[in-house]
Amino acid sequence: MAEIGKIMIKVPGAIKKGDVIPVKAMVVHPMETGQRKDAKTGNLIPEHYINDVKVYYGSDLVTSMEWGIAVSTNPFITFYLKADKAAPLKIMFKDNKGGAFEQTVQVNPQ
Amino acid sequence: MRENIKLSRRGFIKATGAVCSAVLMSGAIPGLLKPVMAAEEQIDIKDALKKLFGDKKIETGHVDLDVPIIAENGAVVPVTITSDLPMAADNYVKNIYVFSEGNLNPFVAKIGLTSVNAKAEIATRIKMRKTSNVRAVVETSKGNLYQNMKEVKVTVGGCGG
Repeated sequence: MAEIGKIMIKVPGAIKKGDVIPVKAMVVHPMETGQRKDAKTGNLIPEHYINDVKVYYGSDLVTSMEWGIAVSTNPFITFYLKADKAAPLKIMFKDNKGGAFEQTVQVNPQ
Repeated sequence: MRENIKLSRRGFIKATGAVCSAVLMSGAIPGLLKPVMAAEEQIDIKDALKKLFGDKKIETGHVDLDVPIIAENGAVVPVTITSDLPMAADNYVKNIYVFSEGNLNPFVAKIGLTSVNAKAEIATRIKMRKTSNVRAVVETSKGNLYQNMKEVKVTVGGCGG
């Protein structure tokens, strides 16, 4: 898990102004449930999961999410966005242990 | 000679049995998903819904839920939720909730949308502890609630699974 917090965001290459585009994001994270036992020690592995996700398009908060432990390891999310302006799209992830990770891509409709 | 064969066969069965139970007991097959669960209370879906929505009526319809009928791997179950409700500035799908009813805590995620999303559709991957309903609840900006649910059979791999 050396790459914990690594984020990949995918938006379509050629976008026309006003298109509703899919945004696909994946973040590397263990999403530990707190219910799993360490195979060697038998102790419960503490909860470690992303619980807060925010998506900014320019300065506008367009999507915000609350996640529980049951979102799969290395979470993957798809949502849509109306690309009506050229602006950065920033996704911020926060976990229950204070980890914060973010990534920005540029949305450039023609 | 015959005795030898018998012994070795017995030995073979014993050995495989030992490996099998060792693997089962360790609960550590990579990617196998029924983790060893702690003795925790199961939160009933009714209580989870009541906590979030009170006594508000949840209508059926306007929510399309795409899940597999059978999930071989309960740790990675793809879920797509779509609603045909409007995404206008003054009337839009404000929240999409995802529940897995068989999980100790059925709440999986809440996805808050705005009219900028323009399309009320999200997809993600969730963990399911066992065969149960996946439920999606959609909340509009006007406060109306709609839902849909589908059963997903979770098969558990491993010896004799």
